Amino acid sequence: MDKDTLTAVVEAILLTASGPVTVPAVMEAIDDRKVGEDEVAAIFEAIGENLERPDSGLRLEKVAGGWRCTTPPNLDPYLRSFHGIAARQRLSQAALEVLAIVAHRQPVTLPEMNFIRGTNSASVVRTLLDRGLLRMAGRKKVVGKPFLYRTSKDFLVHFGLERAEDLPDPEEMLKDETATVE
Amino acid sequence: MTMVAEEPQGPPVELSVFSGPLDLLLHLIKQNEVSIYDIPIFSICDQFNAHLKAMQELDLDSAGDFLWMASWLLHLKSKMLLPQVDQGAEDPREELVERLLAYRRVKELASFLHDSDIVRRCLWVPEVAADVDAEREQELDWEDVDLRVLAQAYLDVMQKFAASHPPPIKVLPLRFRVEDKMKDIYELVRSDGLVPLLRHLNSRSDPVEVVTVMVAALELVRLRGVFAEQRSPFAEIYLRPGDRSLGAKELLIRGENGG
Repeated sequence: MDKDTLTAVVEAILLTASGPVTVPAVMEAIDDRKVGEDEVAAIFEAIGENLERPDSGLRLEKVAGGWRCTTPPNLDPYLRSFHGIAARQRLSQAALEVLAIVAHRQPVTLPEMNFIRGTNSASVVRTLLDRGLLRMAGRKKVVGKPFLYRTSKDFLVHFGLERAEDLPDPEEMLKDETATVE
Repeated sequence: MTMVAEEPQGPPVELSVFSGPLDLLLHLIKQNEVSIYDIPIFSICDQFNAHLKAMQELDLDSAGDFLWMASWLLHLKSKMLLPQVDQGAEDPREELVERLLAYRRVKELASFLHDSDIVRRCLWVPEVAADVDAEREQELDWEDVDLRVLAQAYLDVMQKFAASHPPPIKVLPLRFRVEDKMKDIYELVRSDGLVPLLRHLNSRSDPVEVVTVMVAALELVRLRGVFAEQRSPFAEIYLRPGDRSLGAKELLIRGENGG
């Protein structure tokens, strides 16, 4: 498969995929031994770079271990107006805190979250499970066998992360803050 | 220990804007411009309680958490009043400081997620027709599997199983036997000469018995042991003796095969 066809195939896959597209998934789709993983990865990079210009309404981003097609954030008002959709619901402060705890210390139980936040988080956790941002991942082998929670793939996609470990270290962020104050 | 001379001015902030007692405490520390490592417990405790008192309506769910914190602060306040006998003793505030530091880290990360959320909720992705997803076998990454998905899968399987394995039909033992009813009706007709069948049926409350009596009557008519007469549609059906007399043997034999 020549490079032009490969680029076209990858673009077409990106346009029609319902989630992030991984390099192995593309390899499997094209089923051509002469095409290497590096080559496919380079194609993604090239398409992404090519779209990174003011007169393009498309963007490519690397999230949750794959690539996905998306739009620049500044076009949101026009898209909402076109689709007739009001502003999407924001995550509450409590929800953000729970997500922060789970992302930082996963797997983590509800009692642990309650302790760190100093308040009950049960209903927030339920909402986040329903929204698919958290997932249950077994039970902790302690008294009461509480459920363990982890962040989901949707969490990574929503916050544009490749892995949960890519979140900034809160200690570092606080240091930065004090550095700028002084 | 740093002392805060004056209570902060202005009305206390609504508790509902704080996501918990630790959040309120961090707010007070920031407002008083004191160090988190050297919290002026006396003043902070009073301010904390002032906030609680200012609450017109206490949301019962979160009120407990705030009250618990208030009691902890009071406890610390009383401990701070005691003279320090042992110089090497732990600062009673140590645990509170650690909880606050841990919570501050969470808040920091939450604010990062907040900023990220603001920008990223403005991104749009291709709207893929749902039928593409429906066409192929649904495959889940193990990353996407959580216990709720498993529980749902289990419920689905059990529902399918239940649908293909309906509960067995319960066969109740027969309480009424056609042959008994045949004998009863036959004898009744023989002795009374004329029996109103519908009135007889209406006097039975058990539908199973009604059916049994009806079948028995029809069987007797078939055997010509009784005759049935009806003058007009919907009128009473009268049974009277037929042109054949049925022996006990005939009634019994019919009963054993039939019924």
